[in-house]
Amino acid sequence: MSEAKTGVQRLLREGPKAINLGLKEFAEALAAQGAKVVHVDWSPPPPEAQELADLLEKLL
Amino acid sequence: MFRVCLVQKRRYFDSMFLMQVSQRLRAEPGIQEAAVLMGTPANVQILKGLGFSSPELEGAGPDDLVVAVAGASEDQVRQALAKLEGWLQAGRAAAEGAPKTLVQALAHLPEANLAVISLPGWHAGREAKNALEHGLNVFLFSSNVPVEEEVALKRLAQAKGLLVMGPDCGTALVAGVGLGFANAVRRGPVGLIAASGTGAQEFTSLIHRAGSGISHALGTGGRDFSDAVGGLTALTAFSALVEDPATEIIVFLAKPPGPETLARLAAHVRRSPKPVVACFLGVIPERVRREWPGRLTTTIDEAVVATLELLSLPRPPFLSGDPAALAALAEEERKKLLPRQRFVRGIFAGGTFCYQAQLLFHLARVPFRSNAPLSEEYALLNPLRSEGHTLLDMGEEFFTQGRLHPMIDPTLRRERILAEAEDPEVAVLLLDFVLGYNASPDPVGDLLPALQEARERARRRGGDLLLVASVCGTEADPQGFARQVERLENAKVRVFPTQAQAVQFVLTFLGRRA
Repeated sequence: MSEAKTGVQRLLREGPKAINLGLKEFAEALAAQGAKVVHVDWSPPPPEAQELADLLEKLL
Repeated sequence: MFRVCLVQKRRYFDSMFLMQVSQRLRAEPGIQEAAVLMGTPANVQILKGLGFSSPELEGAGPDDLVVAVAGASEDQVRQALAKLEGWLQAGRAAAEGAPKTLVQALAHLPEANLAVISLPGWHAGREAKNALEHGLNVFLFSSNVPVEEEVALKRLAQAKGLLVMGPDCGTALVAGVGLGFANAVRRGPVGLIAASGTGAQEFTSLIHRAGSGISHALGTGGRDFSDAVGGLTALTAFSALVEDPATEIIVFLAKPPGPETLARLAAHVRRSPKPVVACFLGVIPERVRREWPGRLTTTIDEAVVATLELLSLPRPPFLSGDPAALAALAEEERKKLLPRQRFVRGIFAGGTFCYQAQLLFHLARVPFRSNAPLSEEYALLNPLRSEGHTLLDMGEEFFTQGRLHPMIDPTLRRERILAEAEDPEVAVLLLDFVLGYNASPDPVGDLLPALQEARERARRRGGDLLLVASVCGTEADPQGFARQVERLENAKVRVFPTQAQAVQFVLTFLGRRA
């Protein structure tokens, strides 16, 4: 099996072990089903950081 | 009346939290209107529509928090605002110590294999890319991700051997664990690849109720089967299910694919060592019928029946409708109504349920209107005003801007039920109730008082109202399937085991079964 297939296959074999970004309820529902989950207390990046990332994206 | 509209720059809370906070604020003494929202262009428009204005509001951006409150006196508004600040700070404090970024979270869970992303669309794509670059598969619930960004994410995923479910992916089941809006479904031999969220919920719930189960139900997002995206996720998911030892049968559930995507999928299906069923919801073009190498069905019920046949399982009684019994039932209901009561109004929370209802009306040659039409000829001019038979998708953008999905927030469906009851020509209200994780804790209880009031209004005019419903879910769902059905039946709502059967009953009532 090529390495490329491993990521999807690992997900199906092991079940979700999740990082949750956004609605906290989604993390709670995963935990209630016995899945491992870590919720991120997310905030929008500062505008300068976004602009820098966009610029890098264009350059690279 | 005293009105305040404040903007706090670069302060973010998620939409579910803000809805809860807005509701609490409205319940404060003297408060008449309150909205706490992120300052997206759509939300700013909503606030202007409610009569709020301020120079700050003009300059609000999507990462800014907007607080709009109207109350009887300045004093009461100030007190409510002070309480609000407490709730907002408590919301942040609850997350004290939590990781602030994906990379920090990975330090807490180095074995992570999935990012679940429900951020606003304009941030979601960047975070999804970041997740892929860290070797994570992505479940992307967010909508409003541009199609070019979707294609770029899916190409990156393909190169890395990862799966992107979405954007706009409502539902998935991975190894028995539900993501987003999903039902508690037992594990079994059926693998599903679905472009539609509520379609996947209905299919997986029916397979469960028929005694079988689901290995994995992988979402693709609504655009994946179009030629613009080319089935990138569907193909990755298909290869994964072909190799997955738990999967014996693979089912596709989507609108009919674009011509190029169809050819690509068909080539893979032809070589598949496992049987394949396709449920292409919609009017299936002749070329699709010609080219598709596997079983082809057009409704979710047919797909379930075809799947059970391939598994050599008996068709359960709830999937064997009796047309004569339906006709007798329709006749009995007809007698309670006045001659001028002619029209059907479908008020759906599930997009696929609205779509499937339209498809069956179309096949039965019954003209209708919809705000999310099957084709342009059926377009409803004004989503707020029904005409003739009308089938409404209450989860469509017009109704959800600045609000939560009707599967969580029943307010607009409740209002619409009561509005339809004012129309003396309305005969039937057709509804769906969607159970499962992340849906309302009591979908039936949310709407039952409005349904009873609607019927009472029709009775005061000397007629009645035929209430027809289907419930999507399983006994293992947090809301309990049997309990929800029983409460509807006790209130004399005609409940059918599947949504397609509920629609067929309504068509029988109209004398036009598909």
